[in-house]
Amino acid sequence: MSAEVSTTVVDEKPPARGWPLQLKIGLLLTGTIVLLSLLAPSIAPHPWDTVSMRTRFLPPGPTYWLGTDEYGRDVLSRLLMGGRLSIAMGLGATIVSLLVGVPMGLAAGYFRGWVDETLMRLADVLMAVPPIMLGLLVLAVTPPSLWKTALAVGFVYIPLIARITRSVTLTLANEEFIQAARARSESNWYILFREILPNAWPPLLVEASLRVTYAILLGSALSFLGLGAQPPSSDWGLMIAEARSFIDRAPWIALAPGLAMCLLVIGINLLGDGLRERLDPRLKTRIGKR
Amino acid sequence: MTAFIARRLFFIVLVLVAVSMLVFGITALLPANVAYLILGPFAPPDQVRALEIKLGLTDPIWQQYLRWASSFLTGNLGESTLMNRPIGPMLTEAVGRSLMLTGASFVLIAVIGVGLGIVAALRHGKPLDHGVSIGTYLGIAVPEFFWAIIVILVFAAWLGWLPASGYEAPSEGLWIWLKHLIAPTITLVFGHLAHVSRLTRSSMIEVLQSPYVTAARAKGLPEHVVVLRHALRNALLPTITALALDFGRLMGGIVVVETIFAYPGLGRLIVFSIQNRDLPTLQAAILVVAAIYAAANLVADLLYARFNPKIRYGRNVS
Amino acid sequence: MLDIFDLTVRYRTSGGELEALSSISISAKKGTTLALVGESGSGKSTVALAAMGLLPQEAQIIGGTVRFDGHDLGAMSVEERRRLRGSRLGLVFQDPFSVLNPSLTIGSQVGESLIHHRGYTPREAFERAIGLLDEVGILNPKAVANAYPHELSGGMRQRAIIAGALAPEPDLLILDEPTTALDVTIEAQIIELLEQLRARRGLTMLFISHNLGVVRRVADEVAVLYAGQIIEHGATEDVLHRPMHPYAKGLLAAIPRIGSKQLRLASIPGRLPDLRKPPSGCRFAERCPFASESSTQPQTMRMVGGRGVRCANAELVESTPWPTPEATATQAPPRSEQSPVVSVRALDKTFRIGGGVTLEGWRLRRNETLLKPVDDITLDIRRGEVLGLVGESGSGKTTLGRTILRLIDPDSGEIRIGDELVSGKPQRELERMRRTAQIVFQNPDSSLNPRKTVGELLARPIRRFGLATTERMPTRVRELLDMVRLPSHYANRYPHQMSGGEKQRVGIARALATEPRFIVCDEPVSALDVSVQAAIVNLLADLRDQLGVAYLFISHDIGVVAHLSDRIAVMQHGKLVEIGDADAILNHPRHPYTIKLLSAVPRVDARSTSAGSGPPPLQ
Repeated sequence: MSAEVSTTVVDEKPPARGWPLQLKIGLLLTGTIVLLSLLAPSIAPHPWDTVSMRTRFLPPGPTYWLGTDEYGRDVLSRLLMGGRLSIAMGLGATIVSLLVGVPMGLAAGYFRGWVDETLMRLADVLMAVPPIMLGLLVLAVTPPSLWKTALAVGFVYIPLIARITRSVTLTLANEEFIQAARARSESNWYILFREILPNAWPPLLVEASLRVTYAILLGSALSFLGLGAQPPSSDWGLMIAEARSFIDRAPWIALAPGLAMCLLVIGINLLGDGLRERLDPRLKTRIGKR
Repeated sequence: MTAFIARRLFFIVLVLVAVSMLVFGITALLPANVAYLILGPFAPPDQVRALEIKLGLTDPIWQQYLRWASSFLTGNLGESTLMNRPIGPMLTEAVGRSLMLTGASFVLIAVIGVGLGIVAALRHGKPLDHGVSIGTYLGIAVPEFFWAIIVILVFAAWLGWLPASGYEAPSEGLWIWLKHLIAPTITLVFGHLAHVSRLTRSSMIEVLQSPYVTAARAKGLPEHVVVLRHALRNALLPTITALALDFGRLMGGIVVVETIFAYPGLGRLIVFSIQNRDLPTLQAAILVVAAIYAAANLVADLLYARFNPKIRYGRNVS
Repeated sequence: MLDIFDLTVRYRTSGGELEALSSISISAKKGTTLALVGESGSGKSTVALAAMGLLPQEAQIIGGTVRFDGHDLGAMSVEERRRLRGSRLGLVFQDPFSVLNPSLTIGSQVGESLIHHRGYTPREAFERAIGLLDEVGILNPKAVANAYPHELSGGMRQRAIIAGALAPEPDLLILDEPTTALDVTIEAQIIELLEQLRARRGLTMLFISHNLGVVRRVADEVAVLYAGQIIEHGATEDVLHRPMHPYAKGLLAAIPRIGSKQLRLASIPGRLPDLRKPPSGCRFAERCPFASESSTQPQTMRMVGGRGVRCANAELVESTPWPTPEATATQAPPRSEQSPVVSVRALDKTFRIGGGVTLEGWRLRRNETLLKPVDDITLDIRRGEVLGLVGESGSGKTTLGRTILRLIDPDSGEIRIGDELVSGKPQRELERMRRTAQIVFQNPDSSLNPRKTVGELLARPIRRFGLATTERMPTRVRELLDMVRLPSHYANRYPHQMSGGEKQRVGIARALATEPRFIVCDEPVSALDVSVQAAIVNLLADLRDQLGVAYLFISHDIGVVAHLSDRIAVMQHGKLVEIGDADAILNHPRHPYTIKLLSAVPRVDARSTSAGSGPPPLQ
C-alpha cells in the first residue's frame, strides 16, 4: 500500500534546461541598450543639446563617434538621451495597458456572461480602428508631449492585452483546481488573484515583453509625426524625423537612431520568444507519450 | 451561409456605429476648445462665441452627435473647417489613391509572405528556415518610417531610379504613375511581410506535426500530396485571419508612409487634418478607415468559412 | 510477416539521451495477432512508429532491423518504404479525433491511398470508399463518405480510419491503442469488427494496448513491455493466466475484476526507472518483491516452458502470487440502517448550447440545442457508503456529481447534505455544506494549482474554515499527508515534482482537510496506470473504513466500481436507469442498458471458448 511511495522517492526536479540561445542574446542586447540609456547623463561624451554652427554635419570620426547633426550636436549623446525617452515611453505605455487590460481580461474570462460580452464588444470597437489612427485621434486635440503619447499608446493596446488575458483566464478557469477552490467557498476575489493570476502571469509576461516593442514602434511613429516628444529634447522617432531632410547629405543622423531602435526591438523580441520557449508548457510535453 | 453573412453585416453596422460614437466622443470630450484651436489662443471672445454657435458647439453633446451622424448618413460629410471644401469628394479621391497603394502592397505581402512561410516550414531547422527566421526578426523590428528612409536613401538618393516623393495621376502616363507608386509600396511590403510569413511558418510547422499529417504519411502518400492536400489547406486557415489583420495594419501604415512620400491619400489627409485641427475631416476619414477595415474582416470571415467545413455546414450525419 | 530483431531506439531530449526501446525482438506470423502490452512510458507506441518507418526526427535507431515479409525496411530507400506503407501496411492510431484531416471528406480520405498505390481515379476511389465504409459496419455509407470528420462520432471515425487503412488490402495492420479513446460499448463493437476482418481477410495484426481485457479478446500472442524491454512473451492464454515475470504478475493482480470481490487490490510500488540512465541490472528490480541478488545483473530473455521471460528467478517464483495487502481497518458496521448523508430528489439540470441566430426567410430563429445531463435524478447515499456511478461519456455523471455539490446550480429538485437543505440556498450560505462535502478530481495535473506547494495546498482549506491555529497547521498538514501515506517532507514539493499517483494522493488529502463526511470522487483513477490505480483505490477503501466517509464514486471503469462500491447506479443520457446493491446489479442486471454495458466490458480472466483447460483464474 504505502509502498508506492516509500521505496523510490525519486527527487524529480524538472530537468535542468539551459537558457535558450534567443533568451541569452535578447538579454544581452536589451540589457546593454537599457543600461547605456539609463547611464546616458553620465556617460554621454558631449552635451546633448549644445548648438554649435562650427560642428554641423560632421561625419562619424574620433571626436564625434556617430557624427553631428544639423545644429552641430553630437549624435551619440542625443542617441543615448533619446533612448531614455523611447524606452520610458514603451514601458509606460505597456504598464498602462497592463494595468487596465489585465483586470478587464480576468473579469471577462472568469465571470463570462454579460461582463464578458460587454468588455469584449468594447474591445472590438477599439480594435476596429488601426492602432496608429486611434493614437492619432487621441492625440489630435491636445498639445503633444511624450507622456501623453505613452498614455495614448497604452490606451490603444488595452483591448489586445484584455483579449490575451481573457483567453489565458478561460483556459485556467476550466482547470479543476478552480473547481476545488469553489468547492471550499473561496471568494471570486481569492480565485481571481490567488489561483488564476499566479498561473496567468508567465504567458502575460511574454506577451507584455512583445507588447513593449509594439509600443516603442508605435510611439516612435507618433513622435515621427510630431505627436510625441517636443524639440529640443527628442526620442528616436523624432530624431529620425528631424534627420529626414538631410538624408542624402548626412545619412548617419537618421541611421544611428534607426539602427538603435532595431537592435532594441530585436533584443526584446528575442527575449520574449526565449521566455516563451522556457515557460510554454506545451513545448515541454511536445515529445509526450511514446 | 446567407444567415452567416447577414449576422456579420449586422455586427459590422453595430461596430461602425460604436466607432462613430467613439470618434465623436474622443474629439468632443478631450480638454480642448475647438474654437480656440481654430482661431488661435488669442482670439477675441465674441468671435469664439460666434464660431461656437456656428459649429453648434453650445448644444448638448448627444445633439451634436445626432446632427453629425444623420448628416453623415445622408451622404453629406460636411465641410472641412480648414479648406472650406466639402469633405465627400476630397475623401473619395484620397481613398481611391490609398486603396491603390494598399491593394498593391497587400497582394505582394500575401504572395511573398505566405510563400516564404511555407518554404521555411518545409525546410524546418535547415539553413533556409534560419535565414527566413532571422529576416523576419529584422522585418518586425524595423519601423515603417525607417524602412521609408532606407528606401529613399537607396532608390532615390543613391541609385536615382525612383522619385523620392509625390504622386502623378495615371493620365500623366502609366510609367510615371507607376514610378511614384513603387517606393511607398516597397516600404509597406518590407514593413509588413514579416508578420505574415512568421505566422504562416508557425502554423504550417504545427500542422505538419499534427496526427492527421502523420496518418497521411502512414498511408504512404507521396510527399507533395501530404503537403499540398493535407497540410496546406489547414495551415492557411489562421493565415487568412492574419492577412485581414494585416490589411488593417496596412491602413495604419499608410499614415506614416504617405506622409513621408508626400503621397496624397487617406493617411496624409488624416495627418494633415490633425496638424490643422480640422476635426470634421478627421472624424470622417477615421470612420472610412474603420469601414474599410471591417469590410476586409468580413471578406476574411467569408473565406475562412469557405475553407473550413466546420463552419460551412451546420448539419450532422450519424 | 513482421519481424523486428534487436531493435534499439533512442530519443534526444533536453535532459539527455533516452533509450525508449532496448533490443526489442518480436515477430508476428502471417494471419496471427500479436499484442504489445505495457503501461505509459513503456515504449509501445515507438514500436508502431518504428515498424512503419515513421519515427520523429529526434528519434534515432541505434541498432537492429525491422523486416516486413523478408524485406529489411532499414535497407530500403525512402521511396520504397513509402510504397510499402500505403500498399501492404496499414496503421490505425489511438485518437480518432485528430487523425482525420478536418477539411477533407471522409470518403476522399478513405479512398485516398487507392489513387496513389492502385492507380484508381478519384471517382473510383470514392466509390470504393463507400464500399469499404459499408464493410466496416457504417449504416449509411454514402452520406458518411460525403461528411466531414467533425460530423461523426468517435466510434464512427474509428471505423472510417480502419476502412482507410484497409483500402489498399494490406497484409499487416498495426493498431496503436485503437479503442482507448472510446466508450466500452463502442470498444466492444470495434473489437468485434477487427475479429471479423481478420477472419475474412486473413490479416496479420500488431495490436498495441494497455488494456489486458481487450488484449485477451484479440491476441494470439502477447509481448509485455516494461521500460523499453520485452519482459515476457508467449501465447495469450499463458501470459495472461499464468504470468511468470514478476511485473506481469503484478500488472495482472492489480486489475480489479468484476465478480470476484476482494477487500484490497494488489499494487506495484514505485515507478518506472529513468530511461535516460537505466539501471544496469534488472529494470524492474526496484519495484519487485521477489528481487534477489541475481537481479543486480542484466537480465536476458530466456525460454521457459514455451515462452520468453526476462527474469532469472522466473521458475523460483512461478507459483508464488503477487502479494496483496490486508485491509487496515475492520469494515464499518452494515450501512443499510443508517440515515442518508446525501439525499437527492428529482434533480434536473439543462444546458442550452449554441446560442446563434439564423435567418429563416425574414424571421430570426435562435439555434438552441437543449442538453439534459441531469434528468429527474433521485438517490440516497448513506453514511460510510460507497455509491458507484457508472455510465459512458456524455451520460451526465460528472455534471450530476458537481450539481450535488452546487458547483453547478440545478434547475429544480432537492439536495440535502447532512441535515441541511442546500438546493435553494445562495452560494454564500453554503459554507457549512462545503465543509461537509468535498470533491476529488480526475486529472491530478489539473486539480492541483501548479504554483503552490503541497503544504500550501493542504493548509488553505484548513485556514479557510478555521480548523486549526497557525501553530498547529504544520502538524495538521503532516497528519493529512500521513493519512494518504505520503512522507511529511512532501509538504515542500510542488505538483510537478511528484508522480501522477502521488499528486492524486495530495488531491485526496486536500479533500480530507475539511474533515468531510461525503466526497464526490470524479473518475479519480482514470488518468492513472493500472498498477498505480490499484494503490489509490486501496487508499480510498482504507479511508472509508477508518473515517466512515461516504463516496459518490464516478467512473467509466466498471471493474473499479465493482471492486469498491456497496451500491451501484447506472446512468444513461442523464437518467438513472438502474440503482441497487452492487452484487445485484453486477450479477442480475435488469435494465437492458446495464446488461449491454456489463457484457461489453472486456474481462481479462474470461476464457475464450477455444482455449483448453488451465488453472483457475487469478483471484
